[in-house]
Amino acid sequence: MSEKCILEMKGIEIEFPGVKALDGVDFSLRAGEVHALLGENGAGKSTLIKCLTGVHHKDAGTILLDGREITPVSPQHAIEMGISTVFQEINLCPNLTVAENIFVGRKEFKHRIINKRAAELMKRFHLDIDVTRPLSYYSTAVQQMVSIARAVDIQAKILILDEPTSSLDENEVQLLFSVMRDLKKDGIGIIFITHFLDQIYAISDRMTILRNGRLVGCFDVKEIGKLDLVTKMIGKDMDVIFNLHPTQMKENAGKMLTAEHIGAPGAVREISLEIKEGELVGFAGLLGSGRTETAQMIFGANRPTQGTITMKGKTVEIKKPFDAIMNGIAFCPEDRKRDGIIGDLSIRENIMLAVQAKRGFMHPLSRQEQNELADKYIKALSIATPDAEKKIGELSGGNQQKVILARWMATQPDLLILDEPTRGIDVGAKAEIQRLMLEMCEDGVSVIFISSELEEVIRCSNRIIIMRDGAKAGELEGPFDADTQNRILQIIAEGSTGGEEAGK
Amino acid sequence: MREKHAGSTQTLLSRIMNPKYVMVYATVIIFLIIYIYGAIRYGSIGFTTLRTFVNFFTDNAYYGISAVGMTMVLITGGIDLSVASVQSLTGMLIAYGYTKLGISPVYTMLLSILIGVGLGILMGSAIHYLNVPPFITTLTGNFLARGVCSLISRESISIDHPLINELAGFKITLYHLVDGQWEKIKPITSISLPVLIFILMIILGTILMQHTRFGRNVYAVGGNEQSAKLMGLPVARTKIAVYAINGFCSALAGIAYVLVVKSGWNMALQGGELEVISCAVIGGTLLTGGVGYMIGTMFGVLLKSVIPALITFNGHLNSWWGKIATGALLLLFIVIQKAVVSYTDKKKA
Repeated sequence: MSEKCILEMKGIEIEFPGVKALDGVDFSLRAGEVHALLGENGAGKSTLIKCLTGVHHKDAGTILLDGREITPVSPQHAIEMGISTVFQEINLCPNLTVAENIFVGRKEFKHRIINKRAAELMKRFHLDIDVTRPLSYYSTAVQQMVSIARAVDIQAKILILDEPTSSLDENEVQLLFSVMRDLKKDGIGIIFITHFLDQIYAISDRMTILRNGRLVGCFDVKEIGKLDLVTKMIGKDMDVIFNLHPTQMKENAGKMLTAEHIGAPGAVREISLEIKEGELVGFAGLLGSGRTETAQMIFGANRPTQGTITMKGKTVEIKKPFDAIMNGIAFCPEDRKRDGIIGDLSIRENIMLAVQAKRGFMHPLSRQEQNELADKYIKALSIATPDAEKKIGELSGGNQQKVILARWMATQPDLLILDEPTRGIDVGAKAEIQRLMLEMCEDGVSVIFISSELEEVIRCSNRIIIMRDGAKAGELEGPFDADTQNRILQIIAEGSTGGEEAGK
Repeated sequence: MREKHAGSTQTLLSRIMNPKYVMVYATVIIFLIIYIYGAIRYGSIGFTTLRTFVNFFTDNAYYGISAVGMTMVLITGGIDLSVASVQSLTGMLIAYGYTKLGISPVYTMLLSILIGVGLGILMGSAIHYLNVPPFITTLTGNFLARGVCSLISRESISIDHPLINELAGFKITLYHLVDGQWEKIKPITSISLPVLIFILMIILGTILMQHTRFGRNVYAVGGNEQSAKLMGLPVARTKIAVYAINGFCSALAGIAYVLVVKSGWNMALQGGELEVISCAVIGGTLLTGGVGYMIGTMFGVLLKSVIPALITFNGHLNSWWGKIATGALLLLFIVIQKAVVSYTDKKKA
């Protein structure tokens, strides 16, 4: 890594109608370094990147590339100057072959040449794949590698990786890191954006932190600890986040939901569970262990073929989500983009959907009521938006999640099921979602909290149910201690059911 | 339409089994099944002769020419409902121009091609810049062309011009070698000009789509337009060019149609755009865009000819059975497409 800066951005300012998205931000990148760009959602990371790649145009400031001032006007222009970007969503064409995807829009187009060169390139990425197959034939990880290969092969001086690891598993992340190290050796400067703090420490040399469109500072990775980093990112004391505690349940809390021997072939073998009023039950387990499937059964999205469900002492028949809603059950699904938000509708419309469904179409909410409802929750959940009429699709992930949460809170549920509500959102928003969950428990609402991050499950839950291979593998009663995480992992690994006595 | 691969790890089998060709294989196989069935049932009464085979091309040559352009439009993820009206307008321009106004067909042919390309550019621009759905835009184009056609004349006008007669009468008679002597193939088999243009367009279309940067861009736009934009591809230019080329193909198909019927009529080829689209779809072009091959479209055209041929050879069936069979075939192909798409999706997950 040399001390020479290949890129220098100074005093960058960008203004959108009503908002100053970037205010006097400096950023520099050395040849052969990995520079992490950090900040919460809405801090201005994307705006800065889009300014560099010519999507947005700066209102003030200078960008120097190799000492010469540049003004990127379009992504194409930026690419020509050697600034390549790999986005979180794979921006390739699934119908073209791997080789075609790497070379489309470039000088070489003869099949013979591009197939040969693409194969060589993929070997450099430690991937031995048939480059003449369509891209859609390969896994997301391979597709991600292909998009990086494309970005790098365009004689890039600067490579921007925007959340490249969010859809990769641990091995694939390591593969990506080894490729990044190779690229460093070639003198390419890498701007790395991620939500995973561990990954920053694993691969980065320096980091620049943004908050609310302003520069917090540029630091050497070695000189700043994780806790310090998070504090700088969110600008709040860490205690707010890490001092969340499970709520104290009432002594005489009644039963909220009892599910007995429910199961659906192919998803969940059989499971019985009981949730008390105001209790927060965490579901732990690997993907596909039956966590989501159990939640879907309770909500009627996936109809159980056996067993009974009792809500507040009354046996209920839940055939479809509507029945669940009418019985006071709410469900925030795992895939926010696909099953949660309706991107083209406004925040107001997204919030009122479930309430309206509950009331029936014969009793429409008046516009007045809708506005009140929307404003109430925007305020209560501090959703960052200029007004309730903004399309939800234009919000950041954390804010979208809050809107979905508002949608269900508005139905005043007795039981709220949250499936991975904190996935893909930043630390600050995560803490807020967790705080909201706990507040609801205080008010006597029962919550089922499904998450892959054990830490947060342990932090918030009164009780944890561990799923494995479509059945309950164990159950731990709080309060939890430092050893709980290991015990959960052990249960997941071994499938032992001896977890009951643990935790006490 | 195999491509040459240089990858050393590839075996011949893996090249052939490349999933991107599944749809084309399905079309070819179904064509072969029907053809072989016909050969077994009606081989004795001339189904297997070369003439019958060439007639498969002759019967729908003008649809085939148009289908070349349509395939490209469908690959971008668009659709063009104006093609048949433009063909009809071409016929009308040539007929009215010569018979009523005395203008040489040479000029009217050039004019029709200009109109076809111009309308294509106009519609392509509206689709891209104004973001009007292709269905609506080209439906408007359809009404426009048909309207102008009816404005010119509402009766069928015949054409009797030496050039048209000459072109219509042009044919290459096929010979074969018998005992060292070149003899005409019996029954006499000849290739007409529309068939020549059709085959030529398929070849040109294949070269354009498979071996040029432009073709690659067309596939990219159809695969994911947003990505294509971010990869820095000239999306606007590509889309507009595709509609322009399709306009050219429509006009050319109109000329080929004139050579067959030697007249212009404002109501000619009603609903023909759907015939053209179905040729491409039966040929394995995905209506959602991104996938399609010219060779597939050619077999799509052949499939649409072989079914009526079977019915003719049968001699007892009502000819509308041909339509029913084509409908069933179309349905089958849409189901296959859906299955292929969901299979690849599942594989990825």
